[in-house]
Amino acid sequence: MALDRRRFLMGAGLVGLALQSPLLFAGSSSGAESLAISRRIPGTNEAIPAIGMGTWITFNVGGDPTLVEQRTRVLKTFFELGGTVVDGSPMYGTAADVMGEALTALDAEDRLFAATKIWTGDESATRDEAARSGRRWGVDRFDLLQVHNLRGWQGHLETLKAMKPEGEVRYIGITTSHGRRHREFEQIMEREPIDFVQLTYNVLDREAEQRLLPLAREKGIGVIVNRPFQGGSLFRRFQAESLPGWAGDAGVKNWSEFFLKYIISHPAVTCAIPATSKVDHMRENMGALYGDLPSPGQRQQMADYVGSL
Amino acid sequence: MTGSDWLSYSLQDFIMFGPQVFLRLFMRLNQDIWPWTLVAVLLGLLVPFCLVSHKRRLRRLALGLIALSWIVSGYGFLVGYFGPVNWPAGVFGWAFVLQGSVFGLMTVAGVADHPEPFHEPSHEPDNGQYRKASRGLVVCWIVACLVLPWLPVAESGVWQALALFGLTPWTTAAISMLAISVLRGPWRWFYLTLPVLWVVFSAATFWVLQTLWLLAFPVATLVFAALGFWLSPRRAQSPD
Repeated sequence: MALDRRRFLMGAGLVGLALQSPLLFAGSSSGAESLAISRRIPGTNEAIPAIGMGTWITFNVGGDPTLVEQRTRVLKTFFELGGTVVDGSPMYGTAADVMGEALTALDAEDRLFAATKIWTGDESATRDEAARSGRRWGVDRFDLLQVHNLRGWQGHLETLKAMKPEGEVRYIGITTSHGRRHREFEQIMEREPIDFVQLTYNVLDREAEQRLLPLAREKGIGVIVNRPFQGGSLFRRFQAESLPGWAGDAGVKNWSEFFLKYIISHPAVTCAIPATSKVDHMRENMGALYGDLPSPGQRQQMADYVGSL
Repeated sequence: MTGSDWLSYSLQDFIMFGPQVFLRLFMRLNQDIWPWTLVAVLLGLLVPFCLVSHKRRLRRLALGLIALSWIVSGYGFLVGYFGPVNWPAGVFGWAFVLQGSVFGLMTVAGVADHPEPFHEPSHEPDNGQYRKASRGLVVCWIVACLVLPWLPVAESGVWQALALFGLTPWTTAAISMLAISVLRGPWRWFYLTLPVLWVVFSAATFWVLQTLWLLAFPVATLVFAALGFWLSPRRAQSPD
């Protein structure tokens, strides 16, 4: 095949693009389909992969060496398939220590977008809590610190706002889950200069579509979505059902992709953070980082289909 | 947080670990302390014979071993293994240590146990009630000691997950309820307080984890507590 100038320049451009961005061609094996879906963080335009990883329950394995090794393989798969955003909390038992062990074993700090939470009623302990979490994870600083479930949010947020210009953290935010305290959450989003909110949103729990997601877009706040599988209950409810015939047109190959692509195709969503303890499930989850996303019309079809089952 | 915020939480929100992690705690303990597990089995089987003995010294030895079982299973299993993944379990662990320590001290001081639990007073005719009660206690104890440890095995499918008396809190709490039968009145209620809380905590945990075989532990604890009262000397002294 003759290599003309146009083809050469196109090829060189693609190679250059791939080298520039770790999000592209991650786990490449299927050509154009292996372009990872990324989202810009509104405040800085920094791109992050639209699928991240949560650690609630799954990484709280105590000092069990077998399970620590197994979770390390889960994290390795996550990185290999193009993931970067990992979210934790000091509330999750030993999950932070296990994450620290896994990161050390993989020597993967440079690939990580580290997000954790401040979870203490003592509003003067923000820095101490962040430092303690940093030691447990083995990171010098977190990319994102969030006030967990608005616990002591006034004091913590003031400190976080002071930490950001000093370079102690790159982004700050607040979290909620299960649809709790949305009214107060909204007020904070209106008033405070936060970079991220984390909230529960999935194909069944869609309350955030009413106010919080539009507000996040309006205010330029990134959105991290927790409980994308409703704590696993979406699988228990729907896995026995078959996917709709049009699922392939919406870029969906399995239920995991169905649930995740529904979320990350919302224009306000920056990243969804499913949690898993199994390598196979991680592969399925990360499948949602590639391929087509459903259109607005297909999203409505997805919600209607699940509602009809 | 407001009251309605608290109401929005479910039991599941307080369980931060999965069944795999939980069931592996039993395997890890057994692997880590092998071959001391054999000693635990032997002592567990020895306790009921001492408990119904004519000699008060032997009965106190049995009560001392039961107290030690609370301490070992509380500190070893709950504080050492379960606490790191579930902090309330660590709190229960220290409560087990406290229960075992107080009970042990009271046993040494000789104030907790009934002086003649399974022996007919001289003024009563020998109608076999006391003998039957003591045999019933021994049989129940031995059967429980041999059956209850297999519940985590049934749940996990791994035989190394045995939950032995004296090493794991569920088997220890359940079986040692039978010792109520040799305690004096007020001490029975002291002895019962922690197990009641433990039953509630355990049942809630097992329900959330959907480890349904393990729900037999809290059920067995309540059944053996009732049995402990039923086998007690007061019952034996009032045969109808």
